[in-house]
Amino acid sequence: MSIATTTAMKVMPVYDFLWRATAGAAMLGAAAGPIGCFVLWRRMAYLGESIAHMGLLGAAIGLLMGISPLIGVGVLAIVAALLMARAGDNLIPAGTFVGMVGHAGLALGFILLATMETVRTDLLGYLFGDVLALSNQDLMGIAAAGLFVVAGCAFFWRAWLMQTVNGDIARAESRTGRFADVVFLILIAVLVAFGLRVVGALLIVALLIIPPAAARPLSRTPEAMALWAALIGAVSAPLGMAASWWKDIPTGPAIVLAAVVLFIVTTLSMKAVEAMRSSR
Amino acid sequence: MLTMPNELLISAKHLGFRVGGRDILKDIGFEVRKGEIVTLIGPNGSGKTSLLKALLGLVPATGEIARKPGLRIGYVPQNFPRDMSLPLTVGRFTRLFADRGAADAALARAGIATLRESQIARLSGGELARVLLARAIAGHPELLILDEPLAGVDVAGEAALYHLIAEIRDEIGCGVVLVSHDLHVVMAQADRVVCLNGHVCCEGRAEQVVSDPAFAQLFGPRVAGELALYVHRHDHSHEGHARV
Repeated sequence: MSIATTTAMKVMPVYDFLWRATAGAAMLGAAAGPIGCFVLWRRMAYLGESIAHMGLLGAAIGLLMGISPLIGVGVLAIVAALLMARAGDNLIPAGTFVGMVGHAGLALGFILLATMETVRTDLLGYLFGDVLALSNQDLMGIAAAGLFVVAGCAFFWRAWLMQTVNGDIARAESRTGRFADVVFLILIAVLVAFGLRVVGALLIVALLIIPPAAARPLSRTPEAMALWAALIGAVSAPLGMAASWWKDIPTGPAIVLAAVVLFIVTTLSMKAVEAMRSSR
Repeated sequence: MLTMPNELLISAKHLGFRVGGRDILKDIGFEVRKGEIVTLIGPNGSGKTSLLKALLGLVPATGEIARKPGLRIGYVPQNFPRDMSLPLTVGRFTRLFADRGAADAALARAGIATLRESQIARLSGGELARVLLARAIAGHPELLILDEPLAGVDVAGEAALYHLIAEIRDEIGCGVVLVSHDLHVVMAQADRVVCLNGHVCCEGRAEQVVSDPAFAQLFGPRVAGELALYVHRHDHSHEGHARV
């Protein structure tokens, strides 16, 4: 039986939540792409994960205090980002410290959620999110956060790129290093805060890393890679949504897998093109 | 050669730098003037890179550092890690720090205009050295700070690159501070040599420094003797050219 034969009353809500889910995930993916390129270039995947884990603790604290989990996530994610910015390779590598902070947050978050018997919270909802439950308000929030992150990326692009290419040159010849770094971490925290509740800790980190990785073989300049990453992040949403609809699989993980499939496609295509060129 | 001292670009007084209770630099006095090439020499761990980084404000040092207001610096670091995950052409890399015209001119000046569309991550060591130098001069610096700019360059390329640095100095009139391990080449081009070992052991013109007892103590009498001979020979060949 096709959708068209069902009554209009049923059709409209169905289309509405599908449209909101697709638009929300696509906007998040598009916003995560460019800043995710820096996460990839600077090998900071661990940092994104740890911020997301701390965000989970923030959600738990928010629920416990009876305030919006979004505020809890945002505050904790920013605190975590600034704390991790202080990490330097010392007795233990910076990556290990960052991972430890994140896992401490994750563990505390789970413990807090487990003790809250009055709040029936689905833990999986925070890991995979519940993209199908997006409200119009959520959409507005994602759109605003996404625009904020993309605008920040555009404004700090050159400073971040200099810093990425060589931090010593950037700091020796100009004097903008520290501030731009802090903004970078805060923007990731903002993205995580909005992404966590709606698409989950797993998906938001995947959206930071996988679309840039898929964009790499297509790009000869950093700017091209950012644009491709935004496009691939955005396209992963409808692809995953479609797979989820047809095969009745969880939506968040389907979006992640769609991005992975795009990564495989671009990587293999590049290898094929290189093989063709060298055989000529 | 110059009777009037040129404009002071950067100077340090009583400069110190400690890491974990160990003095890396102690009571250093250092200055660079417009148009001069100052070469820092010294054994491994003598604080050459640390002194450059202190002058650049990259490490927390004590003492006084005075810069000419608004001093434009071009820096070539000792290490330049590259990563395949970042797609970056030589041209885009250079334009990141200078406008298009200046970037292209600098690449042409360093003799690597043909590398403009090459990916940075795929360059050879010698090509990278030239790209880093081109990038550093693209911003029309008043002071070039070069930390072993010849790493990865073969012997033939080394002399050519040194010559290029001296030519660039003549063209844009910048001051140059240079760290190098290759004492022979260094001695040939430097206006002033500063011999470092945590503190300034000796400094002056190359022929003065090599005959200084502190120099012989630091590098051993054999190296000092060889270099003294080298500098001497070098002077003579120059005078010969001048008379022709």
